[in-house]
Parts: sequence; structure tokens; C-alpha cells
Amino acid sequence: MLGFMKKVHGQEEGQQPGNRHQDPEMPRMSQESSGKPEVPRKILVVGRGDTLDEEAIDYAVNLAERLGYDLIGLNVDTMLGQKSRFFSPYKYHLRDKFAQHAQAVGEKIKKKLAQRGIGYEQVVKFGDLGKAVAEVNQQIKRIEFIITQAGIKEAEVNGGINLPVFSISGYQGERKMTNEADSRGFGEVGKTVGFGLASAAIYAALFWNSDTVMQYFTKGAWYAALPIATVFVVSFVHGAFSHHLWEVLGIQAPKKVAPRPAAAKRPAARTRPRPQLRIDT
Amino acid sequence: MHDIAPEAIKFIDLSLSTIAFLFIVGFIGGLVSGFIGSGGAFVLTPGMMSLGVPGAVAVASNMCHKFPKAMIGAYKRWKYGQVDIKLGLILAASAGVGVQVGIMIQQWILDKWGEAGSNLYVSLSFVVILVVVGGYVFYDAWKTSRSGGEEKVTSLALWLQKINLPPMVHFKTANVRISLWFTIPIGFATGLLAATIAVGGFVGVPGMIYVLGASSLVSSASELVIAFIMGFAGTVKWAMHGMVDIRLTLIILAGSLLGVQLGAIGTTYVKENVIKIVMGTIMVIVAVSRGLAVPQYLKELKVISWQNSTITFLNGASFIIMCIALAIGALIIMGSMWKAKRAEALAAKESALALEKSYG
Repeated sequence: MLGFMKKVHGQEEGQQPGNRHQDPEMPRMSQESSGKPEVPRKILVVGRGDTLDEEAIDYAVNLAERLGYDLIGLNVDTMLGQKSRFFSPYKYHLRDKFAQHAQAVGEKIKKKLAQRGIGYEQVVKFGDLGKAVAEVNQQIKRIEFIITQAGIKEAEVNGGINLPVFSISGYQGERKMTNEADSRGFGEVGKTVGFGLASAAIYAALFWNSDTVMQYFTKGAWYAALPIATVFVVSFVHGAFSHHLWEVLGIQAPKKVAPRPAAAKRPAARTRPRPQLRIDT
Repeated sequence: MHDIAPEAIKFIDLSLSTIAFLFIVGFIGGLVSGFIGSGGAFVLTPGMMSLGVPGAVAVASNMCHKFPKAMIGAYKRWKYGQVDIKLGLILAASAGVGVQVGIMIQQWILDKWGEAGSNLYVSLSFVVILVVVGGYVFYDAWKTSRSGGEEKVTSLALWLQKINLPPMVHFKTANVRISLWFTIPIGFATGLLAATIAVGGFVGVPGMIYVLGASSLVSSASELVIAFIMGFAGTVKWAMHGMVDIRLTLIILAGSLLGVQLGAIGTTYVKENVIKIVMGTIMVIVAVSRGLAVPQYLKELKVISWQNSTITFLNGASFIIMCIALAIGALIIMGSMWKAKRAEALAAKESALALEKSYG
């Protein structure tokens, strides 16, 4: 998809502004919108973190280029919404950091897209996703539809407004899942330590009293249940410990990532020349 | 199994080196069996015996660690969608019969030729079966890796699958439909071998691959189900006689539960053919090792009259080669995992660079 965008980019750079309207590849929509450049239509790209999903942006840029729309990137931090009266200075600090990072990334995207003639605006909001989208929809006019990154449900975004929502999943969705697993690192470490301690406790208890243990465990007959029950317990606790240990160490089965779907092909160039009105000939 | 009661009281004292040895061999054995479905026992039992553990206690303690290890490994690989539970259960049922027959044969040989005769029988079975089956597995793995690493179902399996001899069974995960009658000999042979050399998987897994036509991934995973059931049944029997040294079992288990999970994860990284390579390599080297042990028993039976020092040397070499077999298996697994992981990291880096270029 990226290579494809570069190609489009190169084509446009090589063209004179005056030729833009004669480009047979340029779809009708962009001609219409360039007819009224004062209020461009927009696509809203929504992400939950402080950066937008590359895949969602990619898709939106592609679409915006074809349709002649502008883009709005909206980063929402749902965790830092002001729910109660108390709001700690630390949380304000976190908000600042979030907004700064989001704006910095937004600037980069803006510069990049400016070269292609696509307008871009970065918005940062906190709290409920649906509310944030509704606010943006009020502030900025002519949002035509919403693109969300993987993991955001349509209902979350489309609370009070009536706009079509498209969610971009697939390859990047997979990537996001792995990122989520990484961010849960602390939980994994906690579980590893917990099961490790439990496992160590069982071993200590058995080896501390190994004389008594050996005496009863080797009596045979119905006492056979003792060693068998012990290995079952140990295999659950110690097995869980080893599972989490490998997870923490980053040794886990690779998620079977389906091959990245091929980029949607642009419609083939029309061979039939469309009638053009020319005054100067 | 003969006259074990007086030996049973002699449980060994544990030293730090004993614990370290058992833990490490447990880990490596677990790694290998998580990967190929069996392994580790052939080093652990003689290893424990060389530490002074009575034979019966060594076998019992080893078996008691084998079934929870197989359970954890099977669960892990079931989550990866590799285990055909039905295949495992059916084979385990016929393997149970195989074990009983195997014990009867052992008993008969023991009565007729005594301890040395029994040991000779075990070693010779080791050598013959491992050379034939292991050699074929190794040859097949080598052939497959030369032709691009894609596994093919053998013509024997395809022919057997065509024979409509009711009752026909469909194994969903293995994606095989075959007559029940063809699965029975595989299970039986697995049990027979398990009773003789304690590693049934050396026949069970190749049987599933070459006779039934399952993939090596599914075969090695389903073998863990068989190992769990047979190990559990065996443990109950040994524990009823009070032969399980829970301390030895737990130390081995501490290592092998770590290993078996790593081995199971390993199967998701590598090409299926690596399973065959590891299995074939281990089997051939173990065959050499057991071959070196044969002269001792021949001497005991007074067939040959070699010097004692030669025999001692051969026995030492035999044990070391056995450890090497396990270590080489583990190295191949870790090496191929590391290679796959590095390739994955490289690909991730490249795609990150491409994104950076596009938006940087």
C-alpha cells in the first residue's frame, strides 16, 4: 500500500496545477470538491492512544486522496477523563504529556500530507469516546464519515451522531493485539512471581519434611494417591509458573499473522476520454 | 519388577550435584519431549541408576514425572490446535494391551535367561528398532529438507486410507480417515516398546506419520496424550507398590515442566520437518549408545570374554553418548527456534522501517 501511495504522490508532483482537472485518472468527486475549495469535506480518524494506527491513517489518506477530502486525526485518552471532582496534578501532567505527544505526531503527519495537498488537523480529547467524537463533529463541519482503528466498536464512537463508521482491522489489528500484550507486561510479571512463590512454597514444604513425606508416600496401596495428587498439584502450579515465565521472557508462540491483504486497487484509468468544455480553443 | 521389595527401602540421599543433574536432564528431556512427543526417559532412568537409585525406583520415579509433563505439554499443544485427542485415546487403548504383552515377554525372558538375558533383550530391541525406524525417519527428514521442506503423505498411508474396512474412524485434527484396524498395531507396538525400552514414542510417532498419514506436528502432539495415559496408569501401579521417590520426581518435574513448554512453543516456530530431523538424530545416536552396552550383557551370559576395563569403558561411553543424543536434540530445537525468532525480528524491523519512511 505504501509503495502505491508513493507512486500517486510522484504523479501529482509531476503535474502542473492547471492540468489537475484534465487528469483522466482523477475521479469525479475530487473535481467537484475542488470546485468549492472553501469548505472541504473531511474524514475523521479516531484512535484511543496517543498515536493513530498506521493502518487506519494509511487507509484514510488513500481515501482522502481519491475523494479530495481533508483529514482530522482525533486522539482520545479514555482513561484520563474527568469523572470525579478530584483530579490529581499527576493526571494533569499525564494529560499534558499525552497531548504533547499526539500533537507532535500530528505535526509530522500534517507536514507529510501537506505535500500531497491533503489538509490535516490534529485534535486531542479526554474522556468518553462517543462524546469526544460528537464534540469534534460540532466544532468542525462537514465530516462525512469516521474511520476507527482496530479495537474500537462502532457503538462506542457513534453515540450521539449520525455518521457512517468504518473500522480498519487486519494486519495492523494483529499488531495492535501484540502491543496490548506487551503493555500488560506488569500483569505477566506479577503472575510469574505469584506462581513462582507458590511453587517454591510447595517444594519447600515437601523437602523440609522429606522424612515424613517419604515415609507416607512410599507406603503403597491407597497411599499411592499421595504422590499422584502431589505431582498433579505441582504440575498445575509450577506449569503455570513456567508458562508465565516464558511469556515474560518474550518466548511465546507467534500469532499466526495472515498475509497482509493486498491494497485495494485503484480503478483502472478510463480509456474513454470524457468531454471537456474548453473556452480558449 | 522381580523381588523389588528389599530394594525399595534404599532411597538415596540427595546431594547438590544430584539435584543439579536431575534438574538439567529434566529440562532438556522436557524440551525434547515437548517437541517430538517423547524422550528424556532413556537418559533419566539409566542416569538415576548410575546415581545409585535402585532400578525399580528409577523407573517408577521417572514414570511419575512423565505423565504430568506429558499432560502440560499436551495441553499447551492442544491450545495450538495440534493435538488429535481421539487419535491419542484410541492409540493409548491399544498401547495398554501392548504394555501387558511386553511385560509378559520380559517376564518370560527373565525366567529363561535371567537378568543379563533380559538386559540383552532390551538393548538389542533398542538397537534394532532405533536403527531401522530412526534410520528411516532420518533419511526421510533429509530427503524432505532437500526437496524444500514440504512434508508428503507416504504412499503406504494413502493406500491404507483407501481400504474401507469398517469401522472407519475419522480423525479431525489429523485430517485422516482410516480403518480402526490399522491404528491398533501402531498402538500395540507403542505399548510393547514402552514396556521394553520405556520410550514408546519412538515407534508411536513414526507409526502415526508413515502408516496412518498424520503430519509430524499432529503425531508428536498426540503422542503426548498417549504418554500421559500410559504414564498415569504405570504410575498408579508403581505407587501402589510404594516405589515412587517423590523427591526425585519433583526435582525432574521442576526442570521438565519448563522444558516441555519451551519445546511446545518451539513447534510453532519451526518447519514440521525439524521434528523429524530431531527425532531421527536422537534415535540413531541412542542406537549407537545402546549398541555399546551390548558386550557387557554378552559377557555376563558368557558369550564373549572381554576384559573388564574394556566393558567399563564401553559402558561409560554408552551413557555419555546417550546424554549427547539428548543434548544434540535440544541444540537443534533451540537453534532452529533462535533462527526463526531472528527472522521474525528482522521482518518486523523491516516493516517498521517502511512505515517510518512513509510517515517519518
